Amino acid sequence: MNTHDPLVIAGREFRSRLLTGTGKYDTFETMREALAASGSQIVTVAVRRIDFDAPGEDITAFLPEDVLLLPNTSGCETAEEAVRSARLARAGGLPDWVKLEVIPDPRYLLPDPVETLRAAAQLVEEDFTVLPYVLPDPVLQKKLEEVGCATVMPLAAPIGSGRGLKLRDAIRIMVEQAEVPLVVDAGLGAPSHAAEAMEMGADAVLVNTAIARAGDPVAMARAFRLAVEAGREAHRAGIMEEGSDAAASSPVAGAIHGA
Amino acid sequence: MSGHVVVNGREQPVGRGETLAALLERLGVGARYALVERNGEPVERARYAEVRLEDGDSLVVARPVAGG
Repeated sequence: MNTHDPLVIAGREFRSRLLTGTGKYDTFETMREALAASGSQIVTVAVRRIDFDAPGEDITAFLPEDVLLLPNTSGCETAEEAVRSARLARAGGLPDWVKLEVIPDPRYLLPDPVETLRAAAQLVEEDFTVLPYVLPDPVLQKKLEEVGCATVMPLAAPIGSGRGLKLRDAIRIMVEQAEVPLVVDAGLGAPSHAAEAMEMGADAVLVNTAIARAGDPVAMARAFRLAVEAGREAHRAGIMEEGSDAAASSPVAGAIHGA
Repeated sequence: MSGHVVVNGREQPVGRGETLAALLERLGVGARYALVERNGEPVERARYAEVRLEDGDSLVVARPVAGG
């Protein structure tokens, strides 16, 4: 099997199919080590006003130089707010890639599909590379592809819940019909969840909480890297079909029994 | 003429002809990325040193933080 199997987003090649977030780490030092262990080449950040009374540390001092920073639009509840946030980030020198999230619902943190589509169309028009975060909705996926999104990123389960591929049937349809990379984002709690998404044919996964809140985030980052690689390779290798009956792995004839 | 600008909702004095870059420096924003909106419009990083603040300007100053 050809070992050259890059993830290609908007014409740019990445070796790693594990995108990671930077939230929820106890310290930036741990985050830095975990990012390195994950092998991630795309790393998300949020954008917030500086609190001049308590500015805290500058996260960018802890981020590897050779990763693509992916600013998100978290905290935005409308298309207008998301577009504003993305423009601010790009003007200030961050990449023109944006993880688009428009989330008006504070309880379940579910994204608004209508506002997300509106913002996506506007941002593509302004030459952003747009990676929208959505509920697994194959119809919305097609519309986002039509307006020119670079990926579509359905959630596996609610953000931070760690419950795994709760919406796998809808994600399976999205995988089947994807014309741009399909990135499963949010809700993955264990490496086995990531492997399952990759075996199913997802192009990549995005993980934050499951690594940051693990007992040992650095070891867990490595575990996710391995799971993503294993899942991808299994998908490319072709997984056997399930059968309803047992089928012996060893020859039936010549068994050592009887006289 | 000196005056005041509003930065993230709080008044700050500015000197005559003070540039955005000088204000950021004074506020201790030495980060790799300081993201600025002036009167509702994003300001290109390359222009920080040439934008001269005016009395009454309203600024949002942001930066990247941890997030997923």
